[in-house]
Amino acid sequence: MISKKICMLGSFSVGKTALVARYVHSIFSDKYLSTVGVKISKKNVSSGGKDFSLILWDLEGKDLYADVNLSYLRGAMGFFTVADGTRKETLEAALELRKAAHDTVGQIPGYLLINKEDLSDAWEVTDAMLDNLTRQGIKYFRTSAKTGLAVEEAFTSLARDMLQNA
Amino acid sequence: MTADSTTVPEHSAGMSDDVSAVSAGTAFWGDIPEKPTDGELVQLRNLLFRREIVLLERLRELQDDQRYTARKISEVLAEAIQLRAGKDPLVGLALEPVVDDVVRTLLRKRRGDFVDSLFPLMGPSIRKSIAETFRSMLGSFSKSMEMAFSWKGLRWRFEAMRSGRPFSEIVMLNTLVYRVEQIFFTHGETGIPLAHVASDEVYAQDAEMVSSMFTAIQDFVRSCFAGGGEGDLESLQLGEYTIIIEKKSQAYLACVVRGTPPVAFREQLHATLDFLLLEYADALAEFSGDTAPFAGAAPYLGDCLSSRYVDDDKKLPWWSKALPVLLILVLACGLGYCSYRENLHAQLRQALMEKQKAFTATMESALNVLRAEPGLLVTNVVSGHDAPWEATVLKDALADTPEAVLQVHGIDPKLFSFKSVPYISYDPEIVARRAKTDITLPDTVTMDFDGKGTLSFKGTASMGWIVKTRDEARSLPGVERVDISGLRDPMMDRISALIKEVEATVVEFVLGKDTPVPQDAPKLQKAVDSLVELEKIVQDMGFTVTLTVYGHADATGTEKRNYEISQARTRTVAAMLYARGSAMPIAMYGMGAVYPKDGQPAAPAQNSGQGDQASRRVELRVHVMRSAAADPESLLLSQP
Ligand SMILES: Nc1nc2c(ncn2[C@@H]2O[C@H](COP(=O)(O)OP(=O)(O)OP(=O)(O)O)[C@@H](O)[C@H]2O)c(=O)[nH]1
Ligand SMILES: [Mg+2]
Repeated sequence: MISKKICMLGSFSVGKTALVARYVHSIFSDKYLSTVGVKISKKNVSSGGKDFSLILWDLEGKDLYADVNLSYLRGAMGFFTVADGTRKETLEAALELRKAAHDTVGQIPGYLLINKEDLSDAWEVTDAMLDNLTRQGIKYFRTSAKTGLAVEEAFTSLARDMLQNA
Repeated sequence: MTADSTTVPEHSAGMSDDVSAVSAGTAFWGDIPEKPTDGELVQLRNLLFRREIVLLERLRELQDDQRYTARKISEVLAEAIQLRAGKDPLVGLALEPVVDDVVRTLLRKRRGDFVDSLFPLMGPSIRKSIAETFRSMLGSFSKSMEMAFSWKGLRWRFEAMRSGRPFSEIVMLNTLVYRVEQIFFTHGETGIPLAHVASDEVYAQDAEMVSSMFTAIQDFVRSCFAGGGEGDLESLQLGEYTIIIEKKSQAYLACVVRGTPPVAFREQLHATLDFLLLEYADALAEFSGDTAPFAGAAPYLGDCLSSRYVDDDKKLPWWSKALPVLLILVLACGLGYCSYRENLHAQLRQALMEKQKAFTATMESALNVLRAEPGLLVTNVVSGHDAPWEATVLKDALADTPEAVLQVHGIDPKLFSFKSVPYISYDPEIVARRAKTDITLPDTVTMDFDGKGTLSFKGTASMGWIVKTRDEARSLPGVERVDISGLRDPMMDRISALIKEVEATVVEFVLGKDTPVPQDAPKLQKAVDSLVELEKIVQDMGFTVTLTVYGHADATGTEKRNYEISQARTRTVAAMLYARGSAMPIAMYGMGAVYPKDGQPAAPAQNSGQGDQASRRVELRVHVMRSAAADPESLLLSQP
């Protein structure tokens, strides 16, 4: 069996736990239970005819990325940085985290998820900002843990990238 | 010669007898010729064969000597038997009954010797086979069966009934010294389990998640407590489980253990991990998530799965196993003794528990006494099996000390060691006490606290005291409202009377003059007296009297003149007061003829030429206020 460790990074309340719950259990809850430390989930997937399991490390979010315990990142083979579209400072934090993650574990696949797409009316993250990301070659998904939009797709493509990477 | 000849015949005669006797049975002697009887032949024979005859004689003697025969046979007996035994089993058969008899006799006579000499040969094998039998018997009966007959067993059964857990689990928990239930061989960085084993009795959770969690915990502990250095977590205690971690940088072993494993277990883990690291050095270096290369590690982990129960090493003495009957007897006795001892223990434990329960009850009731005590707040208790318990108590300055409270209730205060922290209690009882100590009541006043925040006073007292006390009472913690409606100042009655009297005074004046008409002069005098008295009374109470004088004229004469005259009339009153030494502020208003008496519109002068006398007057209004003039509380004293 092949296992891959994936970390979920991002400010608090951006929806890391919600995305994992949507992906692993196909559920969503409006309740906000802030994660303390780290919560580990697992999902068995198959890609390219191979079975393997993703071990998802859902880390607690902090205000300042500097506080995030990057030692949890050790051994990760892929990661997501998650931002909340309705709060643009979380996008800035996510980009910082992305840099810090690469500095810590090297060039492993890592995607940006801009979450809460179902609330797009209230988004502070503008199309201009998104264009900017594309220009910098940062791959992102507009996701919604609530509707499930692009969640499966994001995880699957990270998994595929990790397998090619290996 | 004769002597010789005489001896020989005797011998020969004897020999001949014997020879004939023997010859009858054996061919060997059968064809021997007759001995010569002729004298000369005899002589010749003796001469010729004397030596041979003697030799033969000797041989015959030997032949007859049994001891010689035995000796001779003995020399060849072993070979003979060997020879024969090789040919057929007859020797054995021939010997059997004899040996049988002999052994039987010997067994009967010397049993001890036989047992002594046989036991060393047979003992071990007997012991082994019995032990084997018992082990399997115990195994199949299971520990539960064994327990069914002991006190312990009954107690556990009861425990199982009470707790709703299966009996087997209770037995397991009570007899388990330790059991290594799961072992994870985990990659250090990723936390991905490379190999995992679990003992059969255990329901194993998803290995990958558990293992990742262990890694996360270690990461967490390292970053929190070891300042990011390499101080490592060696074990974790989670209820009845211990997680033992043996760690090297590339990988670690995490073992889920119930109970306390022996020290040697760690050494075994250490050795196992070293071995695995060596064995899988390459695979570990290249690891990128694929655990297939580590499939072979599981058996090594399996070797570390071990367990021990309390009863495993209770060995019975060897002899009890040699003889089954004895064994059973010993077992029976043993069980009897055990259950007796268990029983004794159970009783002791029961007694101890009862004692403990009684002790805890005493302590609890003592705490309840303290909790019920106003002004004391028990915030924290460090309890234990013995006194004293440490109790942190918030204590109002007016509350009794916890020690004193316990003493009053007949409880030994030494049962606790108290740490008291000052605080202000709003308990009604304490608030009442606080009011009592802080407020000094004259004999004429009673005070009552209703327990709901209202402090009320009844009786008579001076106004000064009333006001002062009301302010004091309001600032007491726990007092929300102060009710002084039941308080009366006797002086107040006098003040009210004086004010009423002064304000009722209307002094009429002579036409066109500022002197009162003669019949009203004493009235004015009296009013002035009253004002002076009033001023004196309220001054003592810290109040001031203010007087307002309204002067009026009748409609006779010009308007200007009327204002002047009405003003002059107010000055008359003021002058009288000042003449009496009063210092009260006086406001004087000349109202002219605008306000005739009885509210009549100003009427034209009457024929009498006296005008309207009733309208030529002064009226007085009195205000009493606190000396610090701006205080709205002054209203308190203005009378309706
Ligand atoms: N509308 C909407 N709400 C979302 C979405 N994703 C998450 N939420 C809500 O946002 C809140 C926070 O979600 P979590 O997943 O707990 O956030 P988190 O990032 O794990 O937060 P921490 O654990 O504190 O770091 C919850 O109330 C979720 O219900 C989404 O896609 N749409
Ligand atoms: Mg969370």
